[in-house]
Amino acid sequence: METRSKIRLIALLSVIIIVTGLMAWSILSKLNLMPTATSEHLQTLPLWQIPLYYIWDYAKHGWLCLSFAFIMSGLFQEFIPQDLMLKYMGSGDWRAYIFATLLAPVFCVCSCTMVPIFGGLVFAGSGIGPALTFLLVAPANNLLADIITVQVMGWPIALADMLAGATSAILIGYIVSKTPWGKQFEEKFGVRAQTAPDVDLVDEPFDDRLWNAFRFGGQMAKQILPSFLIGLVIVSYFQAFFPEEIVRNLMTGARGVLVAALLGGPLYTPTLIEVVLGRALMDLGMSPAATVAWLMGQPYDIPNSLSASKVVGWKIVVTYGILALISAILSGLVYGFITGGF
Amino acid sequence: MIQVEVIGVEPACYRCKETMQNTEKVAAKLRQEGHEITVSKLDVMNKSTMEKYGVVRTPAFALNGVIKIMGKVPDSGVIERIIRKEL
Repeated sequence: METRSKIRLIALLSVIIIVTGLMAWSILSKLNLMPTATSEHLQTLPLWQIPLYYIWDYAKHGWLCLSFAFIMSGLFQEFIPQDLMLKYMGSGDWRAYIFATLLAPVFCVCSCTMVPIFGGLVFAGSGIGPALTFLLVAPANNLLADIITVQVMGWPIALADMLAGATSAILIGYIVSKTPWGKQFEEKFGVRAQTAPDVDLVDEPFDDRLWNAFRFGGQMAKQILPSFLIGLVIVSYFQAFFPEEIVRNLMTGARGVLVAALLGGPLYTPTLIEVVLGRALMDLGMSPAATVAWLMGQPYDIPNSLSASKVVGWKIVVTYGILALISAILSGLVYGFITGGF
Repeated sequence: MIQVEVIGVEPACYRCKETMQNTEKVAAKLRQEGHEITVSKLDVMNKSTMEKYGVVRTPAFALNGVIKIMGKVPDSGVIERIIRKEL
């Protein structure tokens, strides 16, 4: 191995070890990675300083969590044999649902990756059910979103969100595949005698692959961070000026679950912002049960639905939108009953 | 005669665009050396693409009908190495 490759390999490995170590240490010592700004403090600042202060406050705590998440998503993307998993997902019976749910966290959020895989699965004959399950689980339960949800919301709510998300995605996929328009779609695009495509992937040396992983993480960051910053600006004003009484009145109890589920969808923002906004609402008084419903509102957001409807048609999109809304409400209610967190 | 296909989504996301740009750069260089290379962009959601290549993670890079890279953006060095092997 050349000296240059060796140095690069050692440098990359040390970055991974340091970031992972710091992350483990921060979890063990229960450091708070969330902004600590309170509404009262934000209100004392001049208007233009509010977002700067809030972003600084977030970056101070969140840089570690974000770097860890980006590096991990790069490593997963590069080193986990995703083609093998796609094969399992395409198996076409009930196991396909299980694989779609369990494996989706490994695929990263990027519409460039999601929609083609969805289309490919349907076309390869996995059926619209598992493909739809995959399309629903992946944005909500991917590695990046999971790490951040755990850090920002804490384990109980994050775990409830993952479980509820997975369960409802399986049910929705299954139900849609039984509707007349779901069957019609399958007939039109489904099972086709498929000749195995020629795939002969090139091998790359380990340090190149490690570098690829970092490049992917960097690309994800470049794609996500700008809208994330804009989101934080909005959230900062929201936390500073949104009247607490309204949140307390509207977003607690059974009605709170309903309101949060209804708002969580159309108000869609990228996962990162949805989580931070959810946290701000929680600080303003939203109940834990309503928070679970809020976080579940990802599958039926408007931009996501529009791109899906181009592929599957509006009837299927409307069906899954309604089912997702119902499941968000149910998950919130169930969480509330089990934990008493209304 | 070398036939290169870059498989991506339409409209192209920045990952597919970058792959396309790197490929074009290498192709231009090799054409100057006198090799014959065609580069085309395939839409992954197109039926014929799916029929040919199955489930593909984008961006993908195929050389003479064989997928060589899938789900990542190759830099021009990697692309050049792959193509030179077939020359």
